[in-house]
Amino acid sequence: MAEQGGPAAQSKAVDESKVSAAELKKRAKADKQARRAAQKEQEGGPAEVAPATNGAHQEHLAQAQGVQQDQKGKVAHAKGLQQPKPSKQGGQEAKQDRGGPSQAQNIPLRSRAAPTAPSKELPKKDNTVVELLSHLYPIQRRPNLAGVSKDVHPAVLALGLQISTYEICGSSARCVAMLLAFKEAIQAYTTPRDTSLPRHLVSHHLSPQIDHLRSCRPLAESMGNAIRWLKKLIVELDPDKLEHEAKDFICEEIDRFVHERITVTDQAIAASARNQIRTGSVVLTYAKSAIVEKTVLQAHEQGTRFRVIVVDSRPLFEGKRLATSLMRAGLEVQYVPFSGLAHVVKDATLVLLGAHSMLSNGRLQSRVGTASIALQAHKADVPVIVCCESVKFSGKVALDSIVLNEIAPPEELLLSAVPEKPHTYPVGAATTAAVGKSAATGKDAPEDDEPAKLKTLHDWNSAANLRLLNPMYDITPAEYIRMVICEYGSVPPSSVPVVHRLANEGM
Amino acid sequence: MPHATHPPSPGLQALIFCGPGLSLNTFTSTPSTLPKCLLPVANRPMLWYPLDWCHRMGIYDITLVTPPDAAPPLEAALRSHPSLTSLSGPRPEVLAPKGLEMTSGTAELLRLGEVQRVIKGDFVVLSCDFVSEVDGSRVLQQWMSLNPALAAASSSRRKGGLAIYYPTYGGEGISSKRDETDFIATAPLSKPNVMPPMGSLRQEVEEVVMVMPTDTLNDTLNENKQALPIRQTLLAKHGNVKIRTKHRDAHVYFLPLWVKDFVARNEKFDSISEDVLGWWAKAGWQHGLAEKLGLDEVLAGKRSTEDEAGNGRSVEEEEEVDATALSSTKSAPAPVRQPPQAFATRVGNSAAPPSRPKLAVPPLLAYMQPVSPAQPLIRRIDTAAQLAFISLHIARLQPSDPSPLAHEHKIHPSASIGQQSRISHEDCLIAESVTIGIRCNIKESVVGANCEIGSNVRLTKCVLMDGVVVGDGVQMVGCIVGKRARVEGTSTAGSKSGVAEVEGAAVKGKGKGKQKATAQSGGEDDNKTKLTECEIAPFFVVEAGTEAKGETMKAFDTEGELGGDGEEDVGDEDDEE
Repeated sequence: MAEQGGPAAQSKAVDESKVSAAELKKRAKADKQARRAAQKEQEGGPAEVAPATNGAHQEHLAQAQGVQQDQKGKVAHAKGLQQPKPSKQGGQEAKQDRGGPSQAQNIPLRSRAAPTAPSKELPKKDNTVVELLSHLYPIQRRPNLAGVSKDVHPAVLALGLQISTYEICGSSARCVAMLLAFKEAIQAYTTPRDTSLPRHLVSHHLSPQIDHLRSCRPLAESMGNAIRWLKKLIVELDPDKLEHEAKDFICEEIDRFVHERITVTDQAIAASARNQIRTGSVVLTYAKSAIVEKTVLQAHEQGTRFRVIVVDSRPLFEGKRLATSLMRAGLEVQYVPFSGLAHVVKDATLVLLGAHSMLSNGRLQSRVGTASIALQAHKADVPVIVCCESVKFSGKVALDSIVLNEIAPPEELLLSAVPEKPHTYPVGAATTAAVGKSAATGKDAPEDDEPAKLKTLHDWNSAANLRLLNPMYDITPAEYIRMVICEYGSVPPSSVPVVHRLANEGM
Repeated sequence: MPHATHPPSPGLQALIFCGPGLSLNTFTSTPSTLPKCLLPVANRPMLWYPLDWCHRMGIYDITLVTPPDAAPPLEAALRSHPSLTSLSGPRPEVLAPKGLEMTSGTAELLRLGEVQRVIKGDFVVLSCDFVSEVDGSRVLQQWMSLNPALAAASSSRRKGGLAIYYPTYGGEGISSKRDETDFIATAPLSKPNVMPPMGSLRQEVEEVVMVMPTDTLNDTLNENKQALPIRQTLLAKHGNVKIRTKHRDAHVYFLPLWVKDFVARNEKFDSISEDVLGWWAKAGWQHGLAEKLGLDEVLAGKRSTEDEAGNGRSVEEEEEVDATALSSTKSAPAPVRQPPQAFATRVGNSAAPPSRPKLAVPPLLAYMQPVSPAQPLIRRIDTAAQLAFISLHIARLQPSDPSPLAHEHKIHPSASIGQQSRISHEDCLIAESVTIGIRCNIKESVVGANCEIGSNVRLTKCVLMDGVVVGDGVQMVGCIVGKRARVEGTSTAGSKSGVAEVEGAAVKGKGKGKQKATAQSGGEDDNKTKLTECEIAPFFVVEAGTEAKGETMKAFDTEGELGGDGEEDVGDEDDEE
């Protein structure tokens, strides 16, 4: 870089007045190199810098000023690029000298702006990602069928699409749908020669399916438990079993699993939880949980007279669906947006929550917003009861929503798919003034034209200092949870690891 | 064009109906030698387009259904035609059911035993004249994700269908007012749970509630004093119905397996687009219609055909657990309630049926392509005009364009072009082994393989199919020339000395225009062939010195049919003589 920049600066010093096309080209090249070097530095971090740049640096600095710390030089250099302050050392002087005279030429703003603009953006080059939660972003959410492995079974393919469009949403729904799709996929499987089904099926046939589902949306805890169970089942099959027998056996077992761990379990939980609803109760719930829906409906069928408050939030509006189905069943429903939570929590006598997962430290992982509901209810002394099948219990432990979570595409927070017509400033004083100014000065016309377009949220990707975050879950502390109702009975949150061991690890 | 990756199989099979091509009869009068599906469109057989479209979405199980007499040329072409053999994947099966006539309706075709046996799972029905720049997998994706949850199973009877409709207006240079249209009434789908990602077609997918061809619509209007009767039940079910009359059915249907039985049960169904879809759409809202059509039994899984063996074990239809009910983005349907029996009725048993739960007819969806010049192309080529439009449209595509239809070479390297010939690269397409003489001027044209073009030829907006011979000094504007036809020009003896003269004459002719027509009768001495907007049948020989406008030139029909707008013009000119 120094080598490139040096001659340019020198020649400029020699004859400033006329700049040939070749000169300009050279300068642009130097600028580009500078930008690239800056980028490398930012990316590589202070610890590891590409040796070429490093060497160039040292040489350059030595030339200019003698001995200097490598580290410091880099920082200073980056700063120099951003805002050429004259108060720095010799290294910058040389830079300045490059930037200074060029300012006098007919490309004044460009040459300075070009290196600054990218270096400003560089630290967060990917501003679609929130730094703190960058580990939670899915590798790549697939919006279409392109690039999907050939081995993916059509049923799984369709399921993947339905999961990623949230047509199938919710931990147990996804788990059931996945198992049923796997049934199809397993029936379509034929064992190749020289291998046996228990050895081959999981690694070669099932794992592409699982990978595909994972790429559509991160797997839910219940799905993980079900997959673990299914893999164990297959691996432990007798290798001498005939293929079709083995496949039928697996499918029967899957049916049994769905029946035992979800269908009947839901019944049992609903039967137990509905006793918590008494005449005159006001049940508050958040978003939509199939099990809470079932509980409420059963209590209603029993003839208990009570009221339901459904709290809902963006972007999925699952509460709307719950409110609709409860309404259809003839219940008295109050639908409240999340912002009205504090207002309605006073009226509630019971908070029923569904779960995405119950963690081993007794915390609840559920749709984002649940924690606030539990907190408010706890403060208002309203009991918070979680209904959760044991298949959703997890051995994991989390203290906050940062370690375990899922980040959905930020675009989903937008209100409409098509950006409204790009607004331009009304042809008022501002624009005319800008036009007038640019006409007068002539040279900064391109600079002034750009801000004429008003940015909407659809342009969030290009707004340097704006990022969108769309987390799916949050963690509710165990203290706020009065009781967890699962098929093993009503347990305190502290018993979650026990139930998890009983239910998910022995199988 | 090579496919970068093989997409995963969507578990569908494709049926491509290779019909007779009635409205292209200038070129398809002898289906035993040149069936419609092999007509070149921008130097590829028409069939290439649906085949390629299917391959792009991962469907390789393709059956071509064709009348028996068109089968041999079709099979030969599949074996030998360079465009068709270059398609990756296994060669499609050709099915030529015995009972298939050229005039059979599409639903009738679906009812044939041979076709019924071929259909083993969900299927796509295409017509061979379908051209699309819209990636099939994007449409397919909508069909897959909008099917009821857990209907992934191939044997599920709760799956819906999806059809594609395109606007017949708004496309520059492609749309024409004379295009056939359909009458489509749609109701919006429920809003997607979240905003679909960019490029998703979800916003344009709607539920069809009524569909009929414009002809039928006109009949209905005439019967009802220019009013379209609409049942109250439609409005009771769908409050927001949008009616379109300028869209056209692309004849691409993603259909679930049960439709096969549905068609088999209803003998009176004639065409898929009108009857099958029309009745299906209506059955979604009209009380009792579904039962009348036997949909209840079809959806309950009672087969009327005898192909149980093909399906292996019978999958129990009612899954014990329904993921839709569990899903947090779905709400449970209204519970079925016994109607309160307040009073004893005198009607007796006849009032029993209403207590049956209402049959949930799977939705019939439609991708309605929005109107915008920027939209990728979806078209059916069933008229000569469309053939020309589409060919020229494809000719305008650059190899660098993202369109899947773009040719790799605008001018095939094997083409030999004479000196001082001008071919406009951006809107011409020259196939392999074409010979072009000197001082030709070719603009906005498609020249098929092995064509021989003489010297001083001017072609503008012409489509030349394979092996056409064009003599020297011929001028053609907007002509479609069939395979191996010959357009004779000045005798080759004219040679170099005559060139300048002819050139001069051409300029003069251009200036005079109408006057030239008088030379038509005694035009032999002028020796210049000038054709405007003509259709020339395959193997037809246009004699030197012919001047014509808007004519259809067919063998065995020396008079030539006068077609369309040209009719009056030519008539006038004749009168003047």
